[in-house]
Amino acid sequence: MNHVLSAGRPGRTPVSRRSFLAGLGATGAGAMLAACGGPGATATPSSSASTGGTGSGTVGGVTNFYHWRSEDRAALDSLAAGFAARYPGASVTQTIDPSEQYQSTAAQKARDGSIGDALTAFRGTQFNQFTEQDILADLSGSVAVGNYVANLITPGAQDGTQYGFPYQLIFNMPLLNTDLAEKAGVSEVPKDWDAYLGMLDALKGSGVDPIAWPGNDPANAFQIINTLAMNNGPTPEMFIGIQDGTYKATDDWWITSLTQFQQLSAYFQQNFAGASNDGVLALYSQGRAAILPTGTYQLAQVRAAGGSFPIDLAPLITTAAGTTPAFEGVFNATFILAVNAAAKNPAGARAWVEFLSEPANAAAYANATSQHVTVKDVTYENPDLQALAPWVEKKTLLAPRFQFTDADIRSAVENSLVAVVTGSSPEQAAEAAQAIIDEKRGG
Amino acid sequence: MSTTDTTATDVRFAEVATRARRNPRRRSSRRNDPRLLLFVLPAAVLYLWLVLWPTVQAVQYSLTDWDGLSVAYRNLGLANYDRLLGGDTVFGQAFGNSLKFMLAVVIGQTTLSLVLAMALQRNTRTNIALRALYFFPTVLSSVSVAFVWSFVYDPTFGLANSLLSAVGLDSWQQPWLGDQSRAIYYLAIVQIWFHAGQMMVVYIAGLQTIPADLYEAADLDGVTRWQRFRHITWPLVAPATAIVVAYTTIQSFKAFDLIFASTGGGPNHATEILSTLIYNSAFRNFEFGYAAAQSVIFVVLIALVTVLQQRAVALSARRA
Repeated sequence: MNHVLSAGRPGRTPVSRRSFLAGLGATGAGAMLAACGGPGATATPSSSASTGGTGSGTVGGVTNFYHWRSEDRAALDSLAAGFAARYPGASVTQTIDPSEQYQSTAAQKARDGSIGDALTAFRGTQFNQFTEQDILADLSGSVAVGNYVANLITPGAQDGTQYGFPYQLIFNMPLLNTDLAEKAGVSEVPKDWDAYLGMLDALKGSGVDPIAWPGNDPANAFQIINTLAMNNGPTPEMFIGIQDGTYKATDDWWITSLTQFQQLSAYFQQNFAGASNDGVLALYSQGRAAILPTGTYQLAQVRAAGGSFPIDLAPLITTAAGTTPAFEGVFNATFILAVNAAAKNPAGARAWVEFLSEPANAAAYANATSQHVTVKDVTYENPDLQALAPWVEKKTLLAPRFQFTDADIRSAVENSLVAVVTGSSPEQAAEAAQAIIDEKRGG
Repeated sequence: MSTTDTTATDVRFAEVATRARRNPRRRSSRRNDPRLLLFVLPAAVLYLWLVLWPTVQAVQYSLTDWDGLSVAYRNLGLANYDRLLGGDTVFGQAFGNSLKFMLAVVIGQTTLSLVLAMALQRNTRTNIALRALYFFPTVLSSVSVAFVWSFVYDPTFGLANSLLSAVGLDSWQQPWLGDQSRAIYYLAIVQIWFHAGQMMVVYIAGLQTIPADLYEAADLDGVTRWQRFRHITWPLVAPATAIVVAYTTIQSFKAFDLIFASTGGGPNHATEILSTLIYNSAFRNFEFGYAAAQSVIFVVLIALVTVLQQRAVALSARRA
């Protein structure tokens, strides 16, 4: 090695290894100073962000639609074909990220408008993030506003401005195989906690797993927190209260919830703590488990996996017999359709959102994807959607799980559920959760 | 080589060694042609731009409350480090899990790869085929491996519980990745399966440099197999062990994708390691400043553990 490096010729300025290393060091120091320019220095939003997304102009060109639902690709492609037929010269492409990735990186990717002329947001944390970063255009004046059920699109508004339209109406409640329930002698969904446990006993006695809980898949496993808390919480904003310090995880209402969840775990399948979503989906779809405690967003997956039995919703009614529960169930309004404020094709993006918001197109989407929608005057032809339609009229609470805007605090509360079904007492689990919440809140 | 030649060579080596000891800091007096530095420049620029600069930036971010998106941020001084070291239970848990995972993987992977290498050291057709077989998992992507093992560990339909049931050991069935006290070790098994073949190749290269006459001489002296291993193989394979241990340590600390795709750090943070925690801080909570502080501590920890391990391996070889 030295032979090669020392092959200098007369007349050339020699450079020693020491001076070369010194040069590298100086460059490194320069890099350090440059780095001290500040974190935001390389992340300045496009100046077009404040002006884009007005949606004026002729509809044409390519509109990119950015979302996380790969299972909806075919349905949306079909709708895109209808859009192109209505607006000659216009087309829609889809950019789809897995939901976890979408939550993590969508803001960064979409903020300069390079992708996602039209885009979507999860209710809660991500929607707030998008509005704080001025990523969403104002849709308050859109003709689409009138197409929606007014109280279902409030999660897409902030400070009086409508930034997006929550498109899907989901019921995050346990799905009950009513064939298995009838075989076990259960003719109606229980209306109090003792009756609920009675139903589970009957199901267990009939030889099936009463509940298939995906303990190793937090995104699905903790949907159960919605109905568990809906009538136990001191107010409908119980988790906002835990996050802002108004309530504590050690309060009686949460200890009661943990105790009830511990009782419930006696009816979960064997080795539930390690169960994946695919595993429990198979158990439920094959009729080996009676309840899938996730939500209607899995209806299409159950059908695709071969489950052909009738399904009803069986929310956890945690109140005592003779007490009228405040809420019969929960719903979530999500998949918030929006227009990127920095869209390269704002007219196309706005037209695409308005197109999806029309009742006929929303019905096509709903029937193809087995999802209820928040659009008015939609006729559901899908049998599952027809069967569950009465839930639209019931007294339901906006899913409280999505009140959390701090993922660490949400994890602390959710993990207390894991703790009580794996050996901790409700009090111990609650204290451990509150300790993490206190740390996070700086208390 | 004659005895005379050997002696002369030894004398020359001794002189060089003596000069080096007398002037340990002395640099070569030979000068380099500056044009040759052009060959180094592209790599140096890339290294500065893609490695050094982000590293330095991470230190700076760690002193702020930057959320990863906003232009605005506040300087917090050492507040992120205070929070990390003084009052973050989950960080402490992730730190402990990282050490448990690292120890399990380093011990398991080093042992298994050395055993495989010793068994497959000779260049026979069968051994070469087996080496390829054991090396194969290394070429898979981490996420694929995670999915494959998720099916193995699935408590309802997985291979592990099915096998136990097939041999009548139903009572031994486990929730596997749902077992908070052992899930991190079950993931360590996956990591060992994933990379033991790769480390086996390093060991085979090291074993094949050991002169055969040493073993012949030992056989003539009537040593046991353990004595052969302890006094010949282990000390002479120490350079390979140092590489294997250092590489495995760093690899185990960075096993982000495997763990993220298998458990996401759950249940209840039982498999949370520092790299998954950093991801969650940065991309779930959008606390980039805090995540940067975690990264800085992570880097220091890896450096410290690697140095300690190299010293331990060197000491072990000297004692043997």
